Amino acid sequence: METIIETKHLGKAYNDRVTALADVNFVIRKGEFVALLGRSGSGKSTLLHILGGLDAPTSGEVWINGKSIDFSDRKALIALRRESIGFIFQSFNLIPALTARENIEYPLLFNYHDRVARRERATDLLSLVGLGDRAHHYPREMSGGEQQRVAIARALIGDPLIVLADEPTGNLDSKTRDEIFSLMRQVNQEQETTFLIVTHERELGRRADRAIELLDGRVVS
Amino acid sequence: MIFGRLFDFLKVSAHQVARKRMRVFLTALGIAIGVAAVIGTVSLGEGVRYQAVEAIKEQSDLTLIEATADIRGGAIQFITPSKIDELAAVQHVEASSAVVREAYTTKRQTYLEVVGIDPGGIEGVIRPKFLRGENLEPGSRQAVLGHDVAETLQRYEGVRFGDTIPILIRRYDDDGMPVDEEVQFTLVGVLQERDDAFDQVMLIDRRVAQDLRGDEAAFDGVLIRVDQPEEVFSVVDDVKALGLTAKGAFQQIESVNQLMDVVVLILAFFAGVSLIVGVLMIVNTMVTSVFERTREIGITMAIGASPADVVYLILAECFYIGLIGGVFGNLLGIAFTGAINTFGKPFIIAQLGDTFSTFAEGDITLITPEILAIGMVIAIALSLVSGLYPALKAAHLNPVTAIRTGV
Ligand SMILES: Nc1ncnc2c1ncn2[C@@H]1O[C@H](COP(=O)(O)OP(=O)(O)OP(=O)(O)O)[C@@H](O)[C@H]1O
Ligand SMILES: [Mg+2]
Repeated sequence: METIIETKHLGKAYNDRVTALADVNFVIRKGEFVALLGRSGSGKSTLLHILGGLDAPTSGEVWINGKSIDFSDRKALIALRRESIGFIFQSFNLIPALTARENIEYPLLFNYHDRVARRERATDLLSLVGLGDRAHHYPREMSGGEQQRVAIARALIGDPLIVLADEPTGNLDSKTRDEIFSLMRQVNQEQETTFLIVTHERELGRRADRAIELLDGRVVS
Repeated sequence: MIFGRLFDFLKVSAHQVARKRMRVFLTALGIAIGVAAVIGTVSLGEGVRYQAVEAIKEQSDLTLIEATADIRGGAIQFITPSKIDELAAVQHVEASSAVVREAYTTKRQTYLEVVGIDPGGIEGVIRPKFLRGENLEPGSRQAVLGHDVAETLQRYEGVRFGDTIPILIRRYDDDGMPVDEEVQFTLVGVLQERDDAFDQVMLIDRRVAQDLRGDEAAFDGVLIRVDQPEEVFSVVDDVKALGLTAKGAFQQIESVNQLMDVVVLILAFFAGVSLIVGVLMIVNTMVTSVFERTREIGITMAIGASPADVVYLILAECFYIGLIGGVFGNLLGIAFTGAINTFGKPFIIAQLGDTFSTFAEGDITLITPEILAIGMVIAIALSLVSGLYPALKAAHLNPVTAIRTGV
């Protein structure tokens, strides 16, 4: 299988004192479903932000889909986020002022698509995440699990190569957590979208294809 | 595609604005009050200007103007026969007549302002209404007197209709000594009161005047009758384009306009100060709003928005504040001017006195579509300017720190 993410000696330090990441090397292949494990403060979010072009490393390289990322090229980083990456965060992912379907369409406002096609795709994704009848509901009218489903649909609307999820189930009860996890797994298998999911929980890690574990900014397994 | 995006951004921002209706409305009210103050004062100024101009139009012979010689760059532009023809050919000139201006004194030392004009010109340009008698006969030493000067001559010299007016014309002999020649004019007509300069003027035949001056080709001006009041200023422009000076009742309108331009500007400036308060309110509201939505903005950037996109989103919200501010500003402004008309007018009329008694009939304020459009533009433009700082602040947020911000 082809390599989709590769990091080479990736490092991130704050003020030359705090080392968030140190010499991180790993490869993720297309279609893999990878869990990113590690204690709090081990650098998981930092790694995710760098892979998504939101943050810049202080050393090393990131290769995505065969291209080295130039972190000084703002336009290229924006294009990367628009075209290749889908982000899911732990909570309060959604724009409170917009309905479920508008939230899903939201990324395409910045990467213009035909309005009708955009709407159809958002409606399809709503059904995919099991919220076909909630198109016009606002985030405050939905449960945490439902909000995360909308966030997953939003991450998928641009047909990204990679979905980066930062503790997407962190705020949910165990049953909902399983459902959300299964949903992402299902998307991964049906659409061959690569997933890199940050989680605290080892059992979820075991349900992934494999796990990468960080300890104090270094890959330990 | 540009419009598609504009529409999308406006739609998202409409949702954001709708979510905070009360806050947005109160903020917009700040700018609305400023706009209303500007509209109120400007419309009062425009109303007074309009009424004053109407009063001038009513009380004077606006369509009568006189073209006279002018000095341009040291060279005098004389009234020549060719100029006279050119003036006659100017658009909207209904009639024109060359004149000679003289100052005579009667034998008993009454000063007379004299205009020598063709009898046809009197009829076609001055359009006299005779209190007594009739127009001059061409080529004869006859005179038509304006209302006031006729009264003066009758009172002090006992000159009555049909009498002759003895006039002394001063000449200089070969040695340069003054010699007064006596000339008799028969008073054949007296004009009704006109309330303009012709009340003081003695009209005589142009050829007679030129004869007495000893210069057959001397012209001092051309009287022009414009076909309608609206065209006066265009004719004045054409006269000036010919290198001549234009005089007439229109000059009063010009000076009223100049005065009112300054008055309106100063009033609008002071009213405009209240707009600054509105601007500060918008800046405050939007900075707060950006601060509250730090994480939301971080996420927006994470899913593909560029800093410019963020700027547009925030500015689109400011556009709505401006729109609401403009609408309410205009409504308040209209209400405000209504109040001025009802409660302020009697007071203003009392202050201005009789000349402006015509004010009582109309509104003292004047709201034109332009004023309302300007109110709208001010509100929206100021809102967008106010939004610039918060929008740039939002666009410069570091997405990582913004996302780490807990809610
Ligand atoms: N702006 C910053 N300045 C200094 N240190 C920072 C900054 N941001 C993060 N760090 C540090 O970098 C390290 C990694 O942080 P990161 O958020 O990536 O950890 P994490 O694994 O995601 O933790 P958690 O599971 O709690 O989310 C931490 O020690 C953190 O204190
Ligand atoms: Mg984290």
